Amino acid sequence: MSIELIKRRLSRRRFIQSTATGAALAGAGIGLAGPVRAEGEAIKIGFLAPLTGDVAAWGAPGLYGCQIWAERVNANGGVIIDGRRHPVEFVAFDNEYSAAKARTGAQKLIEDDGVKFIMMLGGDTMPPVVDISNRTGMLVSTLLPSDLTPETPLLIAPAEVHPIYNVTGVAWLGENKPDLKTAMICAQDDALGRPSVATYLAAFEAAGIDVIEEPLFFDISTTDFAPIMTRMMASDPDIICLDTAYTDYVHPLCEQAFLQGYKGQILSCTMDFYDQVVAKTSKEFMEGVIFQFPDFDDPKMNNPQINFQDPGGFYNEYNRRFPGEWGAVSWEYASIMDLWKAAAESANSAEPEAVLAAMKGTGTGAQCFGEARWWGKELFGIDNALVGNWPVVAIDDGVARIQEFRSIPAWWDRHKDLLIKHMEAMGEMYYQRI
Amino acid sequence: MGEAAASLPVPYTSVFGPVPTVVSGFAGPFGVRSLELILQTFANAAYAASYLALVAVGLVLIFGVMGIVNFAHGELYMLGAYATFYFYSEQQMSFLVAVALGLVLVGAFGLLIERGLFRPLRDNPLGGLIASIGLLLCLQAAAALEFGTKKKPVVAPTQEILTLLPGVTLPWTRVYVILVAVGLLTALWIFLKRSKFGWALRACAQDPEAAALQGISMNQTARLAMFIGAGMAGVAGALTAPLVEPEPHMGHGIIVAAFIVIIVGGIGSLGGAVIAAVLYALVQTFVTTYWNGVMADIVGLLLMLIVLVVKPAGLFGVKDRA
Repeated sequence: MSIELIKRRLSRRRFIQSTATGAALAGAGIGLAGPVRAEGEAIKIGFLAPLTGDVAAWGAPGLYGCQIWAERVNANGGVIIDGRRHPVEFVAFDNEYSAAKARTGAQKLIEDDGVKFIMMLGGDTMPPVVDISNRTGMLVSTLLPSDLTPETPLLIAPAEVHPIYNVTGVAWLGENKPDLKTAMICAQDDALGRPSVATYLAAFEAAGIDVIEEPLFFDISTTDFAPIMTRMMASDPDIICLDTAYTDYVHPLCEQAFLQGYKGQILSCTMDFYDQVVAKTSKEFMEGVIFQFPDFDDPKMNNPQINFQDPGGFYNEYNRRFPGEWGAVSWEYASIMDLWKAAAESANSAEPEAVLAAMKGTGTGAQCFGEARWWGKELFGIDNALVGNWPVVAIDDGVARIQEFRSIPAWWDRHKDLLIKHMEAMGEMYYQRI
Repeated sequence: MGEAAASLPVPYTSVFGPVPTVVSGFAGPFGVRSLELILQTFANAAYAASYLALVAVGLVLIFGVMGIVNFAHGELYMLGAYATFYFYSEQQMSFLVAVALGLVLVGAFGLLIERGLFRPLRDNPLGGLIASIGLLLCLQAAAALEFGTKKKPVVAPTQEILTLLPGVTLPWTRVYVILVAVGLLTALWIFLKRSKFGWALRACAQDPEAAALQGISMNQTARLAMFIGAGMAGVAGALTAPLVEPEPHMGHGIIVAAFIVIIVGGIGSLGGAVIAAVLYALVQTFVTTYWNGVMADIVGLLLMLIVLVVKPAGLFGVKDRA
């Protein structure tokens, strides 16, 4: 682990304890707790994400999940290649959601650390890394398929198909709460907010819900959300949609909605650390808030189509080790590693090109919430996003509970023209971005 | 959630007629109009102006007396916010006690800075500026190490709402900020105008050498200015902690806004800082409400540029520091 990690954690002691344990388990087969010992050279995986700063909530919790994943996998013998068992070791670099630091990090991870695969959050930090990836042949993953273009052949989005899965929440509302007829959207003005706004606009149109004003964009430096909520509520919308706002925006926006007396439906892509929002508002106010990321102890995560080993155990272990840190990305990077491990073992190689070929060979893959297909040609210009079902989650008596798994491809097949129309209007289609 | 809103909104027009749309099907930026919305926006702006004025006045006071541009002033605001988190959220003290401790402790920390950092560099404004940048980075790192990089949730001391008029409300947490800001700024004004210490502060700000010849201690007035300036930033952070939630880099946004305010108001002018804070908050809040937050930042910077072009010393500034 690199020194950058030291900066990222709330508690130095807890960080040192956890990483020391992880490193001990991962390193050179010494002290492996499981029954099968990995004997080959460790395979290094790069973790290039924001571990500090405003976007850290979508980086650091994912690294904690990877630590647990590595311990579990290494305890069972690691990754089997050519009959040898290789432990997996994560090398983290904090890009602070800065493009310049992401470039530096990618170079370090590839040239100094010799990683075989790099996982990223994506967004504004992706363009410089794509250049390096294309030059070096490094396989890179993003959580944001809106990073994909025909010029990113080595970039994959295998865990989440942000922002396309947001259509499932809107479609669920349209079917289950047909009295909701109008909506207002607000979003931060950045590479995460804009494509998400286009997606919500398409989803609302498909569901027959009127978006009554232009989406209200705010700067990422905004700290006072009262004027934004005042403006949103002035139009008396049935639904207030918080788009893919960062956690640091979602919380004050919800609090402002509560304080300004909003009585309608709140819809958000994420609701990380929702217990804090409940504490600052009330259980009654948060009842029924819709978002897209479940807790993994949800009973529906035991459904047979789920491709995540022991989600409840993972969730409990995560919360024991990192209390209060569970969020949208806690499981996602680990889920990507499941896919990568299966592909590496299938290819009998950890080399990026071979792993990518094995991943996409059949045209389908085991995404966390079920079997999914490699897709994206029409929207991203390349079939490098793994798309399938996605959960719709609602707050129920203060706890997040999956309402339903809905098919993103099914929505796409019916409404793709709408999504392309709104993506084009927002300048977010791949041919407008490159 | 409760029941959905019952009625659909009325189509909107501006005073100039139908509003052109950017994306088909939406109203333009000035679509939503009502007296309630205007008054609510004034109420929102009053809060923004209050905490901004507290921070900006402290910054002006330190610059006026010591001649140092304190880039770490935003971090003093951050320390105040963490004081509330620690004493109120962690130690379960009352909110008002935590805020008072934020004022006193950050003020006391200001004394330490004055003695250890700024006093040796009093005759070296550039050195003071660089030292303040170094202090800024040290304080951010210290906060990150001690409290982590995530925002710390601070539950508001009350969820009560003050209804100013039908449809125009302010949460009491925001009302507290306004009341304390008005009280402290009034007290500061009286202190500066009516007390010997206040006269000494103003004298040092106007002409340090002449003040020294009159027997006024520069060290004592600098300590006083630093305590008041840091304390005001601290109390602003402490009061707003439940609304913005403390995190190590929260000083960045406030210091940028505070610099805009003191440049618009006139560097060295306390009254100018208060008026500029009100002006800036009004512009920011109204543009955010009637247009969007991105444009609000641009308009805020444009305001500063226009003032600099038309009146380079600021609205209430004079050519020389005073």
